[in-house]
Amino acid sequence: MTAEADADTASLRREIARARRRGWMRFLKRLFSHRSFQVGFALFSVIVLLALFADLVAPYDPNKNDYRNLLAPPSMLHLFGTDGFGRDIFSRVIHGTRISLGIGISVVVMTGLFGVVLGMLAGYVRWLDNALMRLMDGLMAFPGVLLAIALAAALGPSALNAVIALTITFTPRTARIVRSSVLVIRELPYVEAALAVGAGHARIIVRYILANALSPLIVQLTFVFAVSILAEAILSFLGVGPPPPAPSLGNIIAEGRSYLQDASWIAFFPGMAIAAAVLGLNLMGDGLRDVTDPRLASQRGAG
Amino acid sequence: MLRTSRLRLIRRAFLAAAAGAFIGLSAWTAMAQTAGGDLVFVQNSNPPSLDAMVTTSQASRNITMNMYETLFGFSEDIRPIPILAKSVDISPDGKTYRIPLREGVKFHNGKEMKAEDVKASLDRYKKVGGTQTMLAPVESIDVTGPYEVTLRLSEPTPTFMESFASPRAPAVIIPAEEAAKEPNKISFIGTGPYKFVEYVPDSHVKLERFKDYVPNEDYKDIDGFGGKKTAYLDTITFRVIPEAGAAVAALETGEVQVLEQIPVPTARRLASNPDIKTYENMPWAFLTFIMNMKAAPTDNVKFREAVALALNDEEVMAIATEGLFNLYHGWMYEGSTYDAGDIGKEFYNVHDAERAKALLKEAGYNGEPFSLLTDSNIPEHGKAAVVIAEQLKAVGINAVVNQVDWPTALKIRLQDSGWNGWTLAMGIEPYLGPAALISTLTGAAPHFRANDPELDALYKELITTDGVDGRKAVFAKIQKRLYEFFGIVKVGETGLMQAARANVQGFKPFRFPRLYNVWLEKK
Repeated sequence: MTAEADADTASLRREIARARRRGWMRFLKRLFSHRSFQVGFALFSVIVLLALFADLVAPYDPNKNDYRNLLAPPSMLHLFGTDGFGRDIFSRVIHGTRISLGIGISVVVMTGLFGVVLGMLAGYVRWLDNALMRLMDGLMAFPGVLLAIALAAALGPSALNAVIALTITFTPRTARIVRSSVLVIRELPYVEAALAVGAGHARIIVRYILANALSPLIVQLTFVFAVSILAEAILSFLGVGPPPPAPSLGNIIAEGRSYLQDASWIAFFPGMAIAAAVLGLNLMGDGLRDVTDPRLASQRGAG
Repeated sequence: MLRTSRLRLIRRAFLAAAAGAFIGLSAWTAMAQTAGGDLVFVQNSNPPSLDAMVTTSQASRNITMNMYETLFGFSEDIRPIPILAKSVDISPDGKTYRIPLREGVKFHNGKEMKAEDVKASLDRYKKVGGTQTMLAPVESIDVTGPYEVTLRLSEPTPTFMESFASPRAPAVIIPAEEAAKEPNKISFIGTGPYKFVEYVPDSHVKLERFKDYVPNEDYKDIDGFGGKKTAYLDTITFRVIPEAGAAVAALETGEVQVLEQIPVPTARRLASNPDIKTYENMPWAFLTFIMNMKAAPTDNVKFREAVALALNDEEVMAIATEGLFNLYHGWMYEGSTYDAGDIGKEFYNVHDAERAKALLKEAGYNGEPFSLLTDSNIPEHGKAAVVIAEQLKAVGINAVVNQVDWPTALKIRLQDSGWNGWTLAMGIEPYLGPAALISTLTGAAPHFRANDPELDALYKELITTDGVDGRKAVFAKIQKRLYEFFGIVKVGETGLMQAARANVQGFKPFRFPRLYNVWLEKK
């Protein structure tokens, strides 16, 4: 090869990198000008910040009992009131969102990992497809939350077991989405072209297929995040989530259940926190879907 | 003179008015006892069985004690009194009990109760009864007349009458032909004021008034488990509603009439409701904290003492009972016959972190996990465990709460490992007296797993000592011993908050809902 050709490739690479950066910038710009994404992002950021800085924000230790202050209604001293142990609900809700988000993000990472690996294998390796997808269908035959409850009950109450149960529950749906993207992409001309120039399977999978299957996957994962926050609350409420006194949102609501008429604030505020987190994530997911879906994007471009 | 006589006149007039008012009042109360109606009583769990003698469950006792009767039962002040028996004649050597029966008592199937039925029922209890130790001293049960049975004991047992009268798994009298049947296979036929109609699991049990019930005319009114019982209601429905909030809502709408238990904050809210009356059933149970003496670190007595000293019992009780509690260190209720006074008081409710930490150091404790077993079904258990865990963490004990469901907790606590502490409310045992309470701490399976030889010996001494004074002295030694090896910690005494519609008359809180002598006031 000549030096000239080398220089050409180098400038081409720079050009591609620049184009890619521009593409990202355009994407982010479009995303942040999307109304429901803006609202969702704002809502969810507040919750994430509260969860990250829970120790600084929470005015009390979330597990500190105070038997002289049982079931105190919301006041300046206790913004969200206290529960049957005299614990500050505001502090418990803040720490509860940390637990819920922690479980949610763990489930997203695990589901993403397993979903991509299984979906890729099923979509790319023909002879594995049937076996893997029938297994996934078997898991999907159970209603989602019911399967999670059964698994969590069998494994015993703990945060880790809740993550395992939810991962097993949500992986099949993710794997199926990845697989269907792979099935479409693998037949496209650029994959054939890559094969023709002699690219290896690993390179094809990572650079050509995964990169292009990413956007439906991300949308799906925001959905998994939202649903696992909700499912974690359900598991805790039923007593198969993190054991007490852990201030998970479901635990707080379960403790407030017997006081619904006498101290409604115990169940109300963690309920609002769950609603806000799930709404925020869903709005963000909607925005992502709209922006990454080429059909919707072209409509907007034309309009 | 004139002054005095006028004064006397006024006084006489006042007395006459008072007497008149009294007569009027009693006439009014007598008239107010109106028969009829259906009363719905709500409890939070299904009765495991309605074969009264085989089960020790409170959910069953609530119902069966309105249907069946025993030969003897406890009076209001916890003495054995005759119910179906007329009296008891104990021989001087303490081994023969001749028991004449009341004549003319009818079973729900119309048959008269005779000595054969009593013998058959007691023989059945020996085989399938829920409190196996109760009839253990009885060698033979003989029919010595159409209305008389005689029990012969293998050795004199001074506490026999107390345990025979126990309602824990009551030795009820059923017809001889039913007594031949296996546990839970009988028709539910007793001699009580209400008879069985139907049982729909997860829904309700229905009883109706037994028209041929023969009340015990030796009494004027009900007395404990016995006395003169009168069935005023046409039917009673025992409905199962597990969710406290739903049960309270049903009471507020008037759909149901009596709730076995309501949350204390709810009782405070209902205080201003003229349609509802709340009842404090106090004291109801001991809340205890039991340690596993076979598993580290609780196998070390220094460690267990540290736990006892670390506890702030007032905080545990206030939170676990929602405010309905009594703080008392004694292992019998304050002021009761066997109350042993100040023994052990210096170890109760001290929450002395410094001494606890010093003892932990002495015990060589190094942050090993302390597994605190509790359940989610009985709210007092779970709440007490959470508070105790926080208090133990505060002195440096690595306490972890293991909350499971009630049947699982009962299984785990029978293991030598896998748990260190266990929260348990003991209801019926402290009520029955020292022997019943201490029997759970000795024998083949003591609550704290390992036997304490000294306590075992004291228990033997307790049940073989004749006379209350002698037993009181033994019980004082038992209380002292319990505060020496700390296998079990008494946290406090809990109450049971109950509620009824205001038109429910004659309801007096007791160890079970006595729904005879209860009537519905007509509006």
